[in-house]
Amino acid sequence: MTFRTRLLLIFTLAVVASVGVVEWLVQGATRREFERMDAARSDALVMQFRKEFDRRSQEVVSAVEGIGRSDTALNIAISPDPTSFYSEAGALAAAHGLDLLELVAGDGAIVSSAEWPARFGYHEDWLLEHGDWAEGQAFLRRAELPDGVTLALAAVSTVAAGDSKLFVVGGQQLDQAFLSTLVLPDGMRALLYRSLQPAFAAEQMLGPGPRSASLQALVEDTLARKRERYRVLGTGADAESFHALPLAGYDGAPLGVLLIASSRRGLAELESKQLRYGIEVAAFGILMGVALGAWATARVTRPVERLARSATAVAAGNWDTTVEVTSGDEIGRLALAFNRMTEELTAQRERLVQAERVAAWRELARRLAHELKNPLFPLQITVENMQRARSQYPEQFDEVFREGAQTLLAELGNLKQIVARFSDFAKMPAPEMQPVDFNRLVGQTMKLFEPQLAKAGIAATQELDPAAPAVMADPEQMTRALRNLILNAIDAMPQGGTLTVRTRRMSAGLRLEVADTGQGLTPEECGRLFTPYYSTKTHGTGLGLAIVQSVVSDHHGRISVASAPGKGATFQIDLAAEAGD
Amino acid sequence: MCSRWLAVSKHCNVLWDRPPGLSTASRRQARRPVPLLILLALAASAPAATRPHYGGVLRVEVRQNIESVDPPDTGPGLADLIGAFSITRWEAGRRASYAADDGAPGGRPFLDAVEVQMGRPLRDQSIDLEVGKAEVVELGPGDARRGAAGRRMWVSAPVRIVALVFGPRVEDARIREGLALAVDRTAILNVLLQKQGEISAALLPQWISGYAFLFQSSADLAKARTMIAAAATAARNLSIGVEDASFRAMADRVALNARDAGLAVTAAAPASAADVRLVEVQVVSSEPARALAGIAAALGLAVPPRMDSVEALYNAERAMLDGFRVVPLFHLPAVYGAAPRVRGATGISPLGQWKFENVWLEGGRP
Repeated sequence: MTFRTRLLLIFTLAVVASVGVVEWLVQGATRREFERMDAARSDALVMQFRKEFDRRSQEVVSAVEGIGRSDTALNIAISPDPTSFYSEAGALAAAHGLDLLELVAGDGAIVSSAEWPARFGYHEDWLLEHGDWAEGQAFLRRAELPDGVTLALAAVSTVAAGDSKLFVVGGQQLDQAFLSTLVLPDGMRALLYRSLQPAFAAEQMLGPGPRSASLQALVEDTLARKRERYRVLGTGADAESFHALPLAGYDGAPLGVLLIASSRRGLAELESKQLRYGIEVAAFGILMGVALGAWATARVTRPVERLARSATAVAAGNWDTTVEVTSGDEIGRLALAFNRMTEELTAQRERLVQAERVAAWRELARRLAHELKNPLFPLQITVENMQRARSQYPEQFDEVFREGAQTLLAELGNLKQIVARFSDFAKMPAPEMQPVDFNRLVGQTMKLFEPQLAKAGIAATQELDPAAPAVMADPEQMTRALRNLILNAIDAMPQGGTLTVRTRRMSAGLRLEVADTGQGLTPEECGRLFTPYYSTKTHGTGLGLAIVQSVVSDHHGRISVASAPGKGATFQIDLAAEAGD
Repeated sequence: MCSRWLAVSKHCNVLWDRPPGLSTASRRQARRPVPLLILLALAASAPAATRPHYGGVLRVEVRQNIESVDPPDTGPGLADLIGAFSITRWEAGRRASYAADDGAPGGRPFLDAVEVQMGRPLRDQSIDLEVGKAEVVELGPGDARRGAAGRRMWVSAPVRIVALVFGPRVEDARIREGLALAVDRTAILNVLLQKQGEISAALLPQWISGYAFLFQSSADLAKARTMIAAAATAARNLSIGVEDASFRAMADRVALNARDAGLAVTAAAPASAADVRLVEVQVVSSEPARALAGIAAALGLAVPPRMDSVEALYNAERAMLDGFRVVPLFHLPAVYGAAPRVRGATGISPLGQWKFENVWLEGGRP
């Protein structure tokens, strides 16, 4: 992955992440705001319910106290036989707008009941258990009806006449009609659960709208904990937030639950819109990010790419490469540094070349001195012998002269040969490429060395790959290189051995191997083997393998040696099929 | 008037002079004269000093919708009009008109005519009496107790039997007996009936049979609960119906008592076939055997062939009530209210039969 791609990806991811974070923050803020508004609306509705509750309470209290103050109530209270009043409650309840009314004697026995006339004589023990009833207060209570139990907002008034007492217990049912008095905003609904039975009863849930099973759990939880609960029920657009308020009776026991439900459809739709807008903004942001990223990364990476190209050129040997400095920022400073670096590298290379050249000349001088010193010393001795023989032994001078002249000629021949080798190394021409059949070349070359190999006691072996391809090469230079390798192998096997020359077809060209079974080379010797004028032998110029390396290099090939002490050496020349193109 | 009282009184005293098979205490109670009759006699003697007037139409209202002009379906009073009055118009279930019969055996009645309006609720009857739209109306317990200025009240002996009758669907006798034991008759008598009438678990009233007190009428809620709890759950759901709306409150109280005992009793629609019906049966005779036969016929019970002794009568009645298919609750009097302008003798007999031949209206023809 390129630097530009990575930069582009980072840029795009940054944009997407930013949009996502903003979307998340906006959604969170929206949700909090919605829930705050929802809570405010619920609180308002709860307040409205409480006001309505208080108003109804006041109505009930007024009605009950009115009945308590009536002559009828007093007559019943003082009557020694109140049984004749058993039907009074119905008329009184109707006259005072009460749904429920019971006239209860001081002993707790019902004298008359509006809601259940047949209950006369039954006892309302809770009235006596509670003790004194505070006037002017209403409370919730379960009231029994012929067809079941209902939840009522009730009040008690006590009529005392001497030793006699009468309880007036009146109330209004908390039913659908009560709920319908609440003014509900759009999207809200109020439900009233009347806890009239030990277990949850769905039919006691008053109010509009669906009732899910989870509503039952909320009601039961509220009744159990006896405190306000909040829960979101449902999912998506059908979700509703429920505020559940327990409604307690006079003894604190929860008798009902008021449920204020607020639809979350608005929130869901808002969130859906936000999500859609978010996606659109994100998509636009991504596109913009990609475009801006491409532009920005191009601006950032272009000088870097120029630097990279320049570095590649330097690595390829073009050391005088420079980078255009277009800015004064970090990249510009980097380009300046690069240019300084290449300038210093060039200078260092020139200094190194200079030093190497001097070293080469010194080495050449050393080798020349060494090579020339060997034949010069016999020359000097021979001449000195001839001079000594002429002055001291004139009678032997002729013989000494003849032998001396032969020696002088031989050493002069050596000098000429040394000079010729240096001359050859210096005159290495450019190769003239043509298709070369190396199997044939190997055969011809090996034929030349047959007498020499036989004399040295060396067995020659050719392992030629018939599939070896023809390779573009200079046959004369390659013959010279092969000859040097064969001579090198002969020199490595003074006690005789086996010389093996192989050709092998490679995937991209040809491999030529010359292996001997001589004493081998150390790793250090292997490292220096191709250095000019380096030789492990006591004779020779040290130019043979250097010439081979020079030829192989001119053919864009590669030469290597594999060897270990005592195990011979194998030289490998790899040539590309299109070598020299 | 005195002869009428004496006839009733003699009838009551003579009937069970020595009721066989009863204990001493029972005989003492059986001999006890009916105080209500004494009141009736005293009430009847008061207007005798007033000079009778001829003429006028006596407007009478009743609760029942009488469908047939022929006895015994003519109700408590209509049949007794025949003799002194002759029928001139009959609209079944709505109204009937009777004209004075000049050739009546006891002489022409003082009234010119009697108009009977049927199917009139008790409450409306009371209002009609107050506003002068009727001269004679039936009174409910509350109205009877309250009374009104100048209003006359005719009260018979307890001749109306109020009973629970179980339908064939209620097969479990434990349910029937349980309900019989659950009903708090005392509360109903004291409150709903305003102490009018008698608590009884017998078919024949005490004043006729003399042994009615032998039938247990007290409630035993604990025993009722035990018996009902032993019955199948499905059998504990009952419906109760009334033939007369004036008994609705009583039926509600019975349902409440039944609920306390473990039954679920719901009110049935008037026209529906309820599991239990709260019915009223009229005693048609003061003669015990005839009275029991009439009651049995009205309740659909089998009538024993021979009831010529007290034991036989008692056993017959006991047999009728075995199994609790019929559970008598009360014996109630017939109570009529008469407008102040109605004068003359008491307009009903101890059996609640109409006796309008000795009644006249003030302001009738001079």
